[in-house]
Amino acid sequence: MYSIEIRDLTKKFKDKVAVNNISLKIKEGELFALLGVNGAGKTTTIKMLSGLILPTSGDIIIESMDIKKDTLKIKEILNVSPQETAIAPNLTVKENLEFMAGVYQIKNKDDKINGLIKTFKLDEVLNKKAKTLSGGWQRKVSIAISLINDPKILFLDEPTLGLDVIARKELWKVIKGLKGKITIILTTHYMEEAESLSDRIGIMSNGKLIDVGTSKELIKKVKSKNFEDAFVKIATGGDL
Amino acid sequence: MRMLNFAKRNFKELIRDPLSLVFEIILPVFLLFIFQQIKVPDDAYKLENFTPGIIIFGFSFITLFTATLVAKDRGSSLLIRLGTSPMKSSDYILGYILSLIPIIIIQDILFFIVAILLGLTFTINIIYTILISILVSVLFITLGILIGSLVSEKASGGVGSIIVQLVCFTSGMYFSKDLVGKMFSKVCEILPFESCLNIIKGTLNNNMQIIETRNIIIYVLYTFLVLIISVILFKKRMTSDNK
Repeated sequence: MYSIEIRDLTKKFKDKVAVNNISLKIKEGELFALLGVNGAGKTTTIKMLSGLILPTSGDIIIESMDIKKDTLKIKEILNVSPQETAIAPNLTVKENLEFMAGVYQIKNKDDKINGLIKTFKLDEVLNKKAKTLSGGWQRKVSIAISLINDPKILFLDEPTLGLDVIARKELWKVIKGLKGKITIILTTHYMEEAESLSDRIGIMSNGKLIDVGTSKELIKKVKSKNFEDAFVKIATGGDL
Repeated sequence: MRMLNFAKRNFKELIRDPLSLVFEIILPVFLLFIFQQIKVPDDAYKLENFTPGIIIFGFSFITLFTATLVAKDRGSSLLIRLGTSPMKSSDYILGYILSLIPIIIIQDILFFIVAILLGLTFTINIIYTILISILVSVLFITLGILIGSLVSEKASGGVGSIIVQLVCFTSGMYFSKDLVGKMFSKVCEILPFESCLNIIKGTLNNNMQIIETRNIIIYVLYTFLVLIISVILFKKRMTSDNK
């Protein structure tokens, strides 16, 4: 069964076409990485898929529901970890978790929060105000919050951007732990991250989804030595 | 209730900002105290008239800090996250309004405690004034939401300060509008702050003659207009900020 089905999806901002007629099917439990250079249309695609902005044309079907008709129902089953850390600065880490649990009206709130504290090892920062945390901790908390409603679909927009190598590897471990349980759509600029974490990779350029496949398939397709070279070839049309 | 949950978060954000407490509570209390020591020979400075002025003055800082909170939220990724949640526009607007009500009540109680210590007689009208002032404060809160929806976090402080100045000069808290000429007097009548002050002053002094029908119409009209515009603008900005 497909978790997400996108048909002829287009988003225009005045004369600029940010996303141009893309179609894609993502399976339940799949980790799909969306790659592309800056301005390729990845974040706009994620914003449409998460119901934040409406498409200019095309359809988005999530868990058999139409995003235009069942927006609120769909919003109950997904969550997003935006590019920048999205936490309330003057609230402590625990208060942030409680606040978001309230937003999703979580019934077993305490159990859920304790589970996330354990998974993300948040004990040492639990009573610290979010704004006093390091970038790495803020990102960790932001991702922990995105799991508060046990989403069926999780959008991770450049989750490891700006993190040091250890923090990045720790997050990879968490993301790997989620694989198969929920459908994850990940955007990243790190090729190694996409290759290591994802089941399939989609490459976007100028708003178009120009290729989709596993990292091995994409390497083979353009006859490259490694995935980074394959990405560059596909994204630039072989110009570089 | 999502709106109460959001209100709780907003209240914590506001109350944990020491600067907002200084301007919303300490500065008005200081002014109330200091002007009673100076003994200015003008009716506007009598406790029964100046205390309502201080209430309105305190509300102008509520506008400023509400604007800053909304603009800050808009500028952060937190609203992107909330935008993908099942929260509705009404949850946001009512959440912002409700979070400010406890601060309004705290302000009113403290202002009246200080006023009573300075010589104001306690009557049941003080309770009525607190209740009426909560209604009046809705205009100031929604004005803050409107400004916060329009401008950036940096600009919200500047625009909020303009509201503080307008309240000082056009509400009649420091001097009667008639002292400055017909043109200025007309401006004071068109803007809502004089009407807000008259409503609070009339209630506190149990003098309904101060409250003209014009004052009530202007207050109601501005409150509804600002509320509707702020809802539309906030909703629009939630989408446009996320482009």
